[in-house]
This record gives sequence, structure tokens and C-alpha cells, in this order.
Amino acid sequence: MAIEITVPRLGWSMEEGVFSAWLKRDGEPVRMGEPLFAVESDKVTMDFESLDSGILHIPYDAPQPGDVVAPGQRLGYLLMEGEPAPEAMSIPAARAETVARPGKAPVTPRARRTAGELDVDTAALRGSGKGGRVREIDVREAFARKTEAPPPVESVPVSPLRRTIAARMMRSRENTAPVTLTRRVDATEIVRLRKQWKLRGETPPAYTDIVMKLAAVALQDHPLLAGRWEEDRIVLAQGIHVGIAVDTPHGLLVPVIRDVPALSLEQLAARSRQLIAAAQSRRITAADLEGAVFTITNLGAIGVEAFTPIIQFPETAVLGMGTIRWEVVAEGNGVLATREQMMLSLTFDHRVIDGAPAARFLRTLAALFGSPYAHCGR
Amino acid sequence: MTEQSCFLYRTMQLIRVCEEQLARCHARGLIHGACHTYVGEEAIATGVCWRLRPDDAVFSTHRGHGHALAKGMPPFALIAELFGREPGCSHGRGGSMHLFSPEIGMMGASGIVGPCILQAAGAAYSFQLFGGDRVAVAFFGDGAVNNGAFHEGLNMASIWKLPAVFVCENNQFATEVPFQYAAGNPDVASRAAAYGMPGIQVDGNDVLAVAEAAEEAIRRARSGGGPTLLECKTYRTRAHAEGMGDYTYRTREEVAAWRERCPIRRFRAGLITSGEATEAELDAIDAGIREEIRKAGEEAERAHWPRAEAAAAHVYAARSRAHAPEPVVDSSPRPPISLAAATLEALDYEMERNPRIFVLGEGIGARGGNFGTTAGLFAKYGAARLRDTPISERGFTGLACGAAMAGARPVVDFMFIDFLNDAFGEIVNQIAKMQYMSSGRLKMPVLLRGCIGIGHSAATHHSGSYHSIYSHIPGLRVVVPSTPYDAKGLFTHALRCDDPVLFLEPRELMSTKGAVPAEPYEIEFGKARVVREGRQATVAAIGPMVQRAAAAAEALAGEGVSVEVLDPRTVSPLDTPAILASLHKTGRLLIVDEAFGPCGIGAEIAAQAADAGFNDLDAPIRRLNGAFAPTPYSPTLEAAVTPPVDRIVAAIRALIEE
Ligand SMILES: Cc1ncc(C[n+]2csc(CCOP(=O)(O)OP(=O)(O)O)c2C)c(N)n1
Ligand SMILES: [Mg+2]
Repeated sequence: MAIEITVPRLGWSMEEGVFSAWLKRDGEPVRMGEPLFAVESDKVTMDFESLDSGILHIPYDAPQPGDVVAPGQRLGYLLMEGEPAPEAMSIPAARAETVARPGKAPVTPRARRTAGELDVDTAALRGSGKGGRVREIDVREAFARKTEAPPPVESVPVSPLRRTIAARMMRSRENTAPVTLTRRVDATEIVRLRKQWKLRGETPPAYTDIVMKLAAVALQDHPLLAGRWEEDRIVLAQGIHVGIAVDTPHGLLVPVIRDVPALSLEQLAARSRQLIAAAQSRRITAADLEGAVFTITNLGAIGVEAFTPIIQFPETAVLGMGTIRWEVVAEGNGVLATREQMMLSLTFDHRVIDGAPAARFLRTLAALFGSPYAHCGR
Repeated sequence: MTEQSCFLYRTMQLIRVCEEQLARCHARGLIHGACHTYVGEEAIATGVCWRLRPDDAVFSTHRGHGHALAKGMPPFALIAELFGREPGCSHGRGGSMHLFSPEIGMMGASGIVGPCILQAAGAAYSFQLFGGDRVAVAFFGDGAVNNGAFHEGLNMASIWKLPAVFVCENNQFATEVPFQYAAGNPDVASRAAAYGMPGIQVDGNDVLAVAEAAEEAIRRARSGGGPTLLECKTYRTRAHAEGMGDYTYRTREEVAAWRERCPIRRFRAGLITSGEATEAELDAIDAGIREEIRKAGEEAERAHWPRAEAAAAHVYAARSRAHAPEPVVDSSPRPPISLAAATLEALDYEMERNPRIFVLGEGIGARGGNFGTTAGLFAKYGAARLRDTPISERGFTGLACGAAMAGARPVVDFMFIDFLNDAFGEIVNQIAKMQYMSSGRLKMPVLLRGCIGIGHSAATHHSGSYHSIYSHIPGLRVVVPSTPYDAKGLFTHALRCDDPVLFLEPRELMSTKGAVPAEPYEIEFGKARVVREGRQATVAAIGPMVQRAAAAAEALAGEGVSVEVLDPRTVSPLDTPAILASLHKTGRLLIVDEAFGPCGIGAEIAAQAADAGFNDLDAPIRRLNGAFAPTPYSPTLEAAVTPPVDRIVAAIRALIEE
């Protein structure tokens, strides 16, 4: 009787292993106790000694090195001298799949025919059938992928301006260590300030203009926020030129208002109206877009309260303005009052300045919000 | 010399000389198979055939050379057949044991001991049904009288008073087994009493005694007096077959003694003693016969061989008619009728127009059949055409075979097909092979019907499905209808075609109703019906499984799975092209058959599909069969051996996931 050689169980948890090699050749006599084959499990390869003596017979359908094998699976036989081989005893169906040659997924005859007709290479396919079997549907899908135009998507060409914006944004992201602080400020006085202009029948300055004016004052007390990181040093600003983020039909433009402390609020407002109009119509010059040391961006008009504006590299900070709205505020004596409030969002480069000094800048600015008049004369 | 003496002497001598020539030819290697000679027994065939007409029918045995020659076959046709040549009486298909010449009433010899008795009874049945006075004769050895065919055949011949003569050639041995040993009652003639017919014993080596007794029996048969059993005691003086040893079971002395009782020498002596003929006259006859046989032998040696292309010809009758297309179902709107009613309608219509159709079965007469398959027909067509039978399944199946050979169209109603297994040999060895063995000269329009399938707690002897077994046999048509519409068309076709048909009606569908055109129509065999179209998988379902497969497909349609269901309708011939076409479309094939899986029709379909449809396969071919077990009785057990709809659904799903 032929003696079956089967995969032994390597410890209780072994579900499968990888057949590594025969240690004897087909037809070679084997004595009990001689190493016969090797199986790898849990990354350990073990040599197994023959439990019987006989002549090794390796059937044609035996597992090949690298095949996944399960405990109990037949590997081969030990025969007596002259005993015929019990050839090709079929492997139980359930096992057949685990024995499938890795890398050689079976292809159904129909899939093979279809592949021939459609000129699809089945070797490159991942089959959707049992055990990765390549079926007709896999071939047809591969063919469809091969021939189909990419699915139509709506696209918008990238304008040169957009490309510039994208590049600058990425430059900022890659070259700064941004931190955003937010702080609520009382805007009641600046609202009143504007109202007074209106009452006088004059075109009032924009909130952005007023905040820019106040920020420029605060920057004089906190010059690092208008500085520029240059690796071995921080270069401080020579003039407080402030950028103003303008949403144009073509994209974001940031015109620069020069020497803000030198301008009256009226002058400032006029200058900003002029630059914004130029930006909107794209008639602005390159010179008017350069040289800012600080930037103000206002999303309040669109209802945003706080956000994380992005620094206009190589500047150090950007100040975001939120929307102004009435809020109930508890006053010191327990009285509730309604005040107009605004959130400021300051993003700064932490390389240049730490959080607390930046926060102090916001505190200075908040104080200026409480009494803007000194700086906002006509 | 009287005409009778001349016939008797000439015929016996012709047989003897021919047999001796054949024995020499066997020794020379001209005969390729068996050769059972009739030497010593010549008086029997000669005496019986003396009063037979060419339109009377003779059914013969393995030892049939003498019967053929006595019935008028030219020696050349016999010798050429044994030589395996094309002009032989069976065109080389038969040899010594299969001699066919229906033109002269030599209806065939059989290599199986026994069936000739049933076939003679069947031919006698046809002769009686058609009117006229033709007679059927069976020759058989003593070996056959202990066979069921003898008992069943003689009994039926007796109860129906059939015009038959049963001639037992009691040569005292069946091969080497002595009849004395093998028979509880070794007096064959006396057995006739058991069946209520005359039993006559004569000296089979006395040709005049045989002729006289046969004449009386033939006269009785022709005149409606019914059958006779004629026992002719004789002895074969050569070995059982040429080339076999002869003295292990009998002595040389015994054989020599019987040689002395040679029927020819005895008759010759009588002729000379009575002065009816002279030595010289008889020598002249002998010389003429010797010359005739020598010439026939030479001619046979020169005769051409059959062409190899003819080897599988005549398995089925040639198709003679073009078929009208199947009618549309709603051409004659009327209430739906059951499957049983549909076949009854077809049977009634065909019986009315074709007087050669008759029905055999148990309770199919006045009772109208266990399943109502013949309800109302007895009153219309009478007992001869709706013949209630004894419980002799083998017997009446063999009788149907002989009836068909003699020109009738028997319908055998088995109720349950399980009973047909008792007649397996008659179907497989005789009915299925008769057209082929007779080289197409005999037609075999035998319709064998009965219920198949599991249900009704019928248990294992009333639930078999044996269509696969019979589809294995060349010469048979095997029909498994699943709707009343198909049943009527297929049944009508079965009653009009010339091949033997097994019509296997699913019992569980017998009372299912469906639309059926009132007018007669035929559905050709070998044309599958697409029950339902689909794209993802093909299910070929057989008989009772068709409805279940359709229900499974319907259930899967709800999940968006598109399944095509095919009903082959006949498993032989099988509509392989239709199955392949469907597989080409879907890429997947499941065969659902309630019958056992191994070697079943599903295996055949799968093999054909794997062969011719290999490149269409997108999944393995699957089969779903009943359990490989006899059918149990208890409902829970019964339900477990037949595939239910949900298992079909699961099988289709699994196939699509492969
Ligand atoms: C049903 C069957 N069983 C067995 C045989 C094998 N066989 C061939 S001839 C023969 C003996 C038949 O004896 P008998 O019927 O007396 O005829 P005989 O040969 O004596 O003429 C047998 C057993 C057979 N042909 N048919
Ligand atoms: Mg005998």
C-alpha cells in the first residue's frame, strides 16, 4: 500500500503554510527519520522527517514550492519497490483553491476566447470569480477600460492668475509656521464712526479702511508682526504698507496701500477705493501689488465670523475680519447690554513671533477699537 | 411423391446439407461468430412450416437456420449472413443468431432465450386485431420453458385466444444442462394445462407426426380456436455450437444412438418402403441439394462485405414526413386542460383515425387507467383495442414488440414506470434493436408510457425516474413532457412516428393544467423549449424540475439575476444545439434533474457542453440531482431527496459567483 505523505500541523493554530521544498528527489529511497520536505509557517521554515520508509513518489499535481498548503493535504507518496503509483488522486475540491499556483489566476474558457477576440491580456487581469478566476466580465471590463474615453468631467481652465495664486498659497504653506488666534472685539465705536460720516452726508470709509488704520497703529507697538523672516535675521518693516485682499471676478488680488500711518482715514479710504476698483477691472499695476508688510482680509460682509487666513508670504501676519453683529454682553455690574461685536482672526508665522506677543497685538488692537477717534480723524 | 413428401424430404435434406456445409465453413474460419446447427432436429421446422403460408409469422431462436430455410429463405441468404456479407439476410448485422427475412414471414431469430414466445403472441395479437387468418409460430428450446416469457406468453395467448402455435424443440439439453435436471415437471406438453390450452407431445424426429400435429394446431389457430403448445422431443447430434466440446455432459454412445434415429433417414426409408419414391429419385434430389448448397456457399464467399458507413444505419426509422410547425397556444381559446387530459385527447384522436393502435395495461380498459389515461376509450373502441392485461409486465411488453413487428401500433400503459423495469430486456434487447437488426424492414412503433417522479409519499417503487437509463440505448426515443401543451404534441408525434418511444409523464404534473389547442398537432422530438429567456445562466431542467427551475428563475429575476430556462422535452434525442446556443449566450450551465446524478442525462449534457461549448464556459458546468438513494416514504424524508426551488436558486447563485 502506498503511504501518503501529508502536510503536518505546525502547532494548533496553523490553518495553512507554504510548501518550501522537497529534501529528497522523486524516485529516491527514503528511510524513516530522514528529512523529507520543508514547510514554512508563521515565517519559520521547518524540515520534516519521514515517518516511514519507502521510495518517494511526487505526483504531477503535487504542491510546488511556494504553494499554500493546508494541514492534512497530500504532498506525495512513499511506495514499496515496484509498487505502482496511485496517480493523480484528486485533491478535495475545497483544497483545490488553496493549491492554485500563485500568480497564475485561472482563466475560464469563455474569458480566454473573449480575450482573444478583444485582444485583452488576461495575465494582467484580476479575476472576479472564485479564487481570482478570470471570467468573461473581467475581460470585457478590461476592454472597456482600454477603449473608453475618460469619463467626461466639467473642467475649468487654469488662468495664469489662478496659477500665480496657487503658487503663492503653496509657497506660504511650505515656508511658514502659521498659527491663528481669534479674538472678539467690540466694534460699536467703529460702527458709530462710520455712522457719523454718513450723518455728515459723506461717503464713509469701509470697515476694512478703519481696521487697517487701527492695525497700522498697533503694528507700530508690535513691529515683529510686520517683520520678515530671513533665516539668520528678522528684517523689520521700513514702512507700514498694508495689503488688502480683494475678491475679483478673476481671483484674489492684494493691492497695497503704502505708508498707512501717513494717510488720514479719508485719504486711506479714497486710496483703497481706487485700488479696489483697479483690481476689479484688472487694470491694477504690478507695483500696486507689491511691498506689503501686513495684510487685511475681510469676509465679514459675506457672513463669516472667524477663519484661518493664510499669510501672504514673505509677510509675517495676516488679519482676518469677521462679520459685525449685535450681541448681548454682560457688563461688570451684572447689567446686560447689547453691543456690536466682531471677531478678529490673526494668522502669524510662529517662527517670527510667539503666541503671547501676537495675542498682545490683538489686545492693543481691541483697545484701539474702543477709542478709534484719535486715529480716525479726517 | 406427393407434394407434401417432396417438401418434407427436400426441406429436411436442404437443412442438413446446409448445416454440414456451415460446420465445415466454421472450421475453415469463414464464420466469424457463433454457429448453432440444427442437425438432428430438421423434422420439426420442416413439419411445422409445411402448413405455414408466407404471410404467417415465425419467431425463432439462436438455433434458427432450420426455421429460416423451412420458412423459405434461400440458402445463399443464410450462408452469406453467417459469412458476414452484405447480401446476407440481415446484411451482416446479425449472423447465426439474428436471421431476419420478414418478407417471407421469418420475423427474426433472437440471441436471447425466451422473447420469441412473447413476440409470436404479439404477432398473433396483431393478426387477431386486423382480422384474417394469419398465424404466428414460436420455435424455442426446452431451455425456454423455464423462463418467465414462456409462462407469461402462453398465459396471455390463452386468455385472449391468440392464433399462435408454440413449438418447443425439446432436445433435452440447454447447452449442457439436462432438461430432466432443470425442470420440476419435465413433461412440457402437460404444462399447457396450466394455461388452459391444448398441449401435444410428438416425436420430433418423425416429420409426419410433427406435420400432422402442427397442421392440427395451425388449423385451430386459423379458425379462432386459440393457441397450442406442441412439444417435439428430439436431440441435436452436433455440439451446442460449432467448436464446442460435446462429451462432458453426454456420452458418445447416446449421441450415436440418436444419430441412428436421424429424421431424414427415417423418412427416406418410409418413402422407399411405401413405394412413394425410389432410391434413385431421392439420390437425385440429394445431389441437386448438394449442388445448390455448394453453389450458394461459393457465391457467399465471393459476396461483398457491408460498407462500414452502414454500421449505424437503421437504428431509427427514416423520417418520412415533414412536420407542420407547432401551433400557437391560443389559436383555439378554451379552458385549460390537464396534462393527462391532453394525452388522452391525442390518444383518442389517433385511435379513431388509426385502427392499428391498441393499448395494453393494467386497468386501462373499462376503468380508464389509474391516471385516467384511457378514460372513456373502452366504450368507444372496445376490449381488443383497450386490453386489460394480467400483471405480466415483461410479457405484455414482449407481446407489444411482436405486435409492432407484425404491423400494429401498441401503446403500453405502465401506470408507474417502475414497473417497466421488469420488462427491461424486452425493451433494450428487443424493441430498441429490432429496426436495426432487421435493417429497417421492420418498423417498431411501440409507445411505452408511465409516470415518473417523486411525490405523494409514493415511496421507492412508485417514484422512479429512469429516463437517463433509456436515453443510453440506441433505438429508443425518450420523452419527458412538462406541460399539457407539450404532452399533447409529443404524444401525437409518438403515435405517428415509427420508432419506439418511452413517454415518461411526471406524476406530479399529471393534473397541472395549461392551454392546449383543440386540434391535433405534433411536436417533433429533439426540439427543446425555451421556458424563459435570460442572459446570465442557463438552466436545463428535466420533466418535473422544469416548473421548479422556472420558479427559481422568477425568484432570481426579483434580484436582477437573468436566468434562461430550457426544457429539452425529449432526452433522446437531445436538443444539444439549443443547449449550446443558450450556453453561448449565458456562459453558465446548470442541469436540474430529479433522477440520480451518476451517469445521468445531466452528465451527458455536461459532457456535450464541455466538448462543443468549451470556449463558451465562464464557470464550471453544474448539476443538481435528486439524492443518490431510493425514494423514502415519510414526507420529511421524501422532501429531502428531490431538489426544491430554494436549492435551485442557491445553485444558480453559486454558479454566477464562480
Ligand atoms: C436469456 C438467455 N440466457 C442465457 C443464454 C445463453 N444460452 C444460449 S443458448 C442456451 C441454451 C438454450 O437451450 P435451449 O433453449 O434448450 O435451446 P437449444 O440450444 O437446446 O436448442 C443458453 C443458456 C441466452 N442466449 N439467453
Ligand atoms: Mg435444448
